[in-house]
Amino acid sequence: MSILSPDRYITRADKSPAGRPDVRLVTWFFPVWYAAFGVIICLLARVTPPPRPDVSAADKVAFMTTHALTIQVGFVVLLILLGGAGMTNALVAYQMSRMSTGPVLAYAYIGGMGVGALPGFLLVSVCFLTATFRPDRDPELIGLLYDLGMLSYNGSLGCFSAAYLVLAIAVLYDKNEIFPKWFAYLSIWQIVTEVIATQMFVFPAGPFAWNGSISFWVAVVVFSVWLGSLIFILRNTAAREPVDTDETFQGPTAG
Amino acid sequence: MTHSDSSLTATARDTDRAAQPSVGRAAHLPGDIHMWVMVLGDLIIFSSYFVIFMIYRSMSPEAYLRAQQHLDINIGVVNTVVLLTSSWFVARSVLSARAGDHTRAIRFVYAAGACGVLFMALKGYEWAAKIGAGYTNSEEFFSFYYVITGVHFLHVVIGLIVLGVVIRDLRNPARRRTSMVEAGAVYWHMVDLLWVVIFTLLYVMR
Repeated sequence: MSILSPDRYITRADKSPAGRPDVRLVTWFFPVWYAAFGVIICLLARVTPPPRPDVSAADKVAFMTTHALTIQVGFVVLLILLGGAGMTNALVAYQMSRMSTGPVLAYAYIGGMGVGALPGFLLVSVCFLTATFRPDRDPELIGLLYDLGMLSYNGSLGCFSAAYLVLAIAVLYDKNEIFPKWFAYLSIWQIVTEVIATQMFVFPAGPFAWNGSISFWVAVVVFSVWLGSLIFILRNTAAREPVDTDETFQGPTAG
Repeated sequence: MTHSDSSLTATARDTDRAAQPSVGRAAHLPGDIHMWVMVLGDLIIFSSYFVIFMIYRSMSPEAYLRAQQHLDINIGVVNTVVLLTSSWFVARSVLSARAGDHTRAIRFVYAAGACGVLFMALKGYEWAAKIGAGYTNSEEFFSFYYVITGVHFLHVVIGLIVLGVVIRDLRNPARRRTSMVEAGAVYWHMVDLLWVVIFTLLYVMR
């Protein structure tokens, strides 16, 4: 029952550890990292659910002052943990390279997710940490950092579209059945919601603003379904992976 | 993949096909379960857009009615007929594929795809005309109009890719599967169904 260690997280029917040990470790780490990320963005830094875009500079300063401590704790921890996102991408890319479509799409996935991580995680952290660094700064400048951070964090979702596209193509054309086909369609929904997110740069209020029902909330629900499915699928596929056979991935350069 | 591998999958597929009729007509699922996850989930996502549109509309019904007058209902009707026709072609192609007449099935899929392209051309013209006339997304009704029809347009593009895959499979005797044609048809019917709802909500509803 316990899933607190990698060996107990991915098991055969007789409860013995299944798959390869390194894959087991990162597959276990995957939900742990996203849980930590969720705690940071929702409870500490308070960027999800997002603060309102249609408020005055004074309200933006008040937001930064009220949550200064948790913003600093949350985003400083995130700066340390941010590389963990790269580890989770490596795992998805590893499983993609076991697909019959080969490793090129896996590299494209790593690159695409890497592009999104900079505006999506790093820039918002730096903006909010800069705002809390000197709270007595001109309120207009604090307001700028607030807007810049939130637009970068929520509006950059389109940067992930290419990664979702190559993932969907790999899953649909894969003959080894590493991931189920329905997951490819979930990734296509992700692309659609991320394209809609571009509207945040135009609307300071309403359904298409960065806290809007369509551009934010529908996208968050779809992302949660996507991420939950991915965690479940990664665990299943790691448990099914044959150990030390010819089918095992030998590295991208193996001929 | 080795030769023995491919013959193995071919045998497995043959067994599948042979097993299908014994399941009986009532239990037959057109297409595959993966495509149904896509279609039903997509319908839920679009329904949420429609509900949100209705909520915002109910907050300022006069402004929405006024903005709606600027939509060209004639183009909307023509596009509805175009998509319904394309759905009819896709349905005919499934029937032909089931009957084993693959040449005819391919021709029907091409006809459906042509209707899809015509729909996109008309939609593009409609957008250009609206933007040219100054109806941009600065008005709330038009912001819904551009996003919802835009997302639907994206689904038509995906649908054309799906139809392309169907044609490729139908052309190759080794790849031909009725379930693939059915899956493509299920998706295309969804695109059509969504348009009918969008047309009703945005163009017609008073």
